[in-house]
Amino acid sequence: MNERYRSGVSEFIDNIKNLQRSFLASFLRSGKPTSDKSRAALMFNNFFLHIQGVKTHINTLRPTYTFGLGIISFFLLIIVVVSGVMLMVYYNPSIERAYNTIKDINYVVFAGRLLRNVHKWAGEGMIIFVMLHMTRVFFTGSYAKGREFNWIIGIILLILTFGLNLSGYMLPWDQLAYWALVIVANIIQSPKEITDSLGITQYFDIGGFSKQLFLGGYTAGQESLTRVYFLHIMFFPLFLFIFLGVHFWRIRKDGGLTKPENLEQVGGDTGYASRPEKTGGVFPTFKTYGLMELARGKTPAVDKDIENTVPSWPNLLLAEFAVFILTLAAVIVYSFFVDAPLREPANPLIPENPAKAPWYFLGLQELLSYSAFMGGVGLPGIALLGLALIPYLDREKGHVGIWFSNRQGVIEAVKALFVGALVNVGLLAFVVNFGWFRNWWPNIPQLLITLVNPGNIWVGFMIAWSLWVMRKGSTRMGAIAMFTMFLVSFLIFTYMGTYLRGPNWDFFWSKSQWPVH
Amino acid sequence: MLNRFYLSLLLISGIVLGAFLLFVGYREISPEWKQYQVEYKNNLIKNAKDDATRERAKEVAIEIRQIYLGKLKRVDRCTTCHLGIENPLMVDADQPFSSHSGDYLKNHPLDKFGCTTCHHGQGRALTKKEAHGLGHKTHWDDPIIPTKYIQSSCAQCHDYKTLEQKGVNNIVKGRNLFQEKGCRGCHKLNKVGGDLGKPLDGIGSQPIAYFPMKHVTGEKTIYSWIKQHFDDPRKIVPESQMRAFLTEEEADLITTYILTLRAEEPPREYRRFMHMPEVKTDGESLYKKYCIACHATGKISVYDEILKRTIPAIKNPAFLKAADDNFLRNVIKEGRTGTQMTAWKISAAGLSDAEINKIINYLSIDRPEEKPERFGFADFTGNVERGKKLYEIRCTFCHGKDGKGGEGLLGINLINPVVQSADPEFLAITVRDGRAGTPMAAFGKKNGLGLEDQDIADLITYVKTLSQKKENLSNDYKD
Repeated sequence: MNERYRSGVSEFIDNIKNLQRSFLASFLRSGKPTSDKSRAALMFNNFFLHIQGVKTHINTLRPTYTFGLGIISFFLLIIVVVSGVMLMVYYNPSIERAYNTIKDINYVVFAGRLLRNVHKWAGEGMIIFVMLHMTRVFFTGSYAKGREFNWIIGIILLILTFGLNLSGYMLPWDQLAYWALVIVANIIQSPKEITDSLGITQYFDIGGFSKQLFLGGYTAGQESLTRVYFLHIMFFPLFLFIFLGVHFWRIRKDGGLTKPENLEQVGGDTGYASRPEKTGGVFPTFKTYGLMELARGKTPAVDKDIENTVPSWPNLLLAEFAVFILTLAAVIVYSFFVDAPLREPANPLIPENPAKAPWYFLGLQELLSYSAFMGGVGLPGIALLGLALIPYLDREKGHVGIWFSNRQGVIEAVKALFVGALVNVGLLAFVVNFGWFRNWWPNIPQLLITLVNPGNIWVGFMIAWSLWVMRKGSTRMGAIAMFTMFLVSFLIFTYMGTYLRGPNWDFFWSKSQWPVH
Repeated sequence: MLNRFYLSLLLISGIVLGAFLLFVGYREISPEWKQYQVEYKNNLIKNAKDDATRERAKEVAIEIRQIYLGKLKRVDRCTTCHLGIENPLMVDADQPFSSHSGDYLKNHPLDKFGCTTCHHGQGRALTKKEAHGLGHKTHWDDPIIPTKYIQSSCAQCHDYKTLEQKGVNNIVKGRNLFQEKGCRGCHKLNKVGGDLGKPLDGIGSQPIAYFPMKHVTGEKTIYSWIKQHFDDPRKIVPESQMRAFLTEEEADLITTYILTLRAEEPPREYRRFMHMPEVKTDGESLYKKYCIACHATGKISVYDEILKRTIPAIKNPAFLKAADDNFLRNVIKEGRTGTQMTAWKISAAGLSDAEINKIINYLSIDRPEEKPERFGFADFTGNVERGKKLYEIRCTFCHGKDGKGGEGLLGINLINPVVQSADPEFLAITVRDGRAGTPMAAFGKKNGLGLEDQDIADLITYVKTLSQKKENLSNDYKD
């Protein structure tokens, strides 16, 4: 009776009283995470969390398996996007004002200098961590078993990360930005070397066309800045997020991160585990379930599987949150002490000597100094293609989820590390001391140098070495040798370009030996 | 139940993050300028004479102050720290609170001129180091200018006559020095001047990257470079041939003038040029402007260690006796190839014929009335072979075997076009009578080293063939 005649007012008051609870219930869509069931519900009812499984394999949570490299890259991206949006409020992409707006961000905007530093260092951190993540994925053999295409998407994400960093480097329109822009334009133009050698530039000037497309004219100016800005805030981020979505979705569909076939629990692992409830969980072990959707991996109905998984809430989320705070703290601490560089305003009349690209491209610039085409297009193309093809050329599946596959893999990696470093440094030392074809025979056709130069010889050596390794062992061993050498040479070339090259791209042991200016 | 590793990671990271966010917050709410503003405000309150002033002082806001100068494309935030700049009570205060000296601000109101228009520096910056823009790490090309050179800013808008009347003397003296020390003998300005040195247009506002700063002591700024370069050019640029003989004071004055040579001009409404620039065009002034740096008084010829060459005494009567106006005109207009002497014709260093004539008139003031005794070269027939033998005996010691002169040799280069195209009569007279005030001795019979006129004619005939011979013999000489 009472209920029937209950007035709307008291109901309204009750609703106000219950506001907190009803709002939370509608927001979370499930009760408090007290049981396995509600923990699972929390995960799959949440848009942001449902990309992750309700259960997480304990191998995923082992810090020494992933080192959190992929997720750190992702968190850096989040930091970059948030700080970037804030910087966008102040930045003005015109060649008259860009530099001044950066100055104002540094001087006047509250915490503007820190914001800019955070954006800069988190962005460059992405390069490091995306590459480290790739290294981890490679050495744990995680590109096999249906994950081949996701590896390629990873390569695309790496390229986009480079693109984002590079385009951002050019926006302050200071001397660094301007001359990096000029260098990149020249790298883009590098196919001209080959069309020149073949004498077809006047009919088919692909290099010149690409350069004009990039610069929006023959020389760097307002049009170039507009294009770079568009690339930086629109084109690259858009595609980055599209491919990132696919990247994550595929990991989920492939059954989460890779893990060894026969995982043995070790003592420390129990720490990750809030043991699944044997009754009343989502997947009680005494029942067998078929999955409602098609997904790779085993059904979680078998005892063995469920024993090595733990509820994602709270185990995985705690780990992720901890890594996020770690990442944020590291970026802020670094940004607190180290300022992002800002030089004199761009001046087309004062070429920096040496005009250097940002550090992550200096390996490429070193190769560029041997042959413009091979350094700018040929070798990076070969390297990226080679990386992309790894999962298709090495189809062994035996050792997925184990660092270096086995003992032999460790040996091959160490061997490749030392042999690669030795041969690479030797090659560079030879070039620095004795020069190359152009120094010996000044009139030699450029095409010959394009075909035979230190960069090509190095790539040839890597291929030869890994084929030789493959002959003795497996394709996986060859891939390990190849990838190790790729990393070693990336580091060595980058170090060379960054620290050992001075004015006119001459060799110097240190910057203090540079001639005047 | 939660994993200890991740929990402790979270805890430690969280503490570090929180701590640094606090540091950042503290750094942001207590910037350098705020401390100055608080100090200034406290001073105002403390020194207030009456309650009303004290109340007003208490209401002074702590905030960034900026002067936006749209026409000058500047934003000056200098007054954020230099708070007392318009306050007459702060005359004796220390920087940054001191009021502006003199009554300059009366005619140069802050809201129209700002600060960096005259003082330079980085107007947008808010820390002392970056606002003053000194030091390599600030990456600022236009640092604050010290008071001793500040008058260079006046010349952006005012003409020198007005400045002189107002007693702005340093800049006027500097300009006079520039006109009288022969700077433009080697440096072009407005396309007129020699080309041994770098053109000076816009040098006062050039980026620091143009200046080799390695040997500059103290602040690496353009004015330090210019000043120290005047003190000792070769200390700053080891391969420099610059001849600068200035006292310490003169170097500062002329540096002030050099700093006025800026590429950009203030907008028209800022400029107050009331008088046409006074340009002296008499022969003496032109000589000082273009010639004096090398030829000095022109009375005696000396071997110059810097130029590695004997500089002829062009106002010496003995020289003038032999060198007629046509010869002088030829040398001045065409220069002397192979020496530092520039070609001064209008298409090269940019002097008009009228100006060159004025210089020649000035040079020849001391020319003796009497003409040298006629030689009559046309009456002789020169014998090249004899001339060659005579040359090898008599001339190689100073002019070198091949007649090129050169380092360590006293004689001039005989292959240069001026000698080769000179009237043989003139050359013969020079050989016969020598050139007083230079190492060139008289070789004539009457009062010299005993050569017959026929010998001299043979010699001149041979010397005249030197350039052709060289071309045949070798390609070394390509001037």
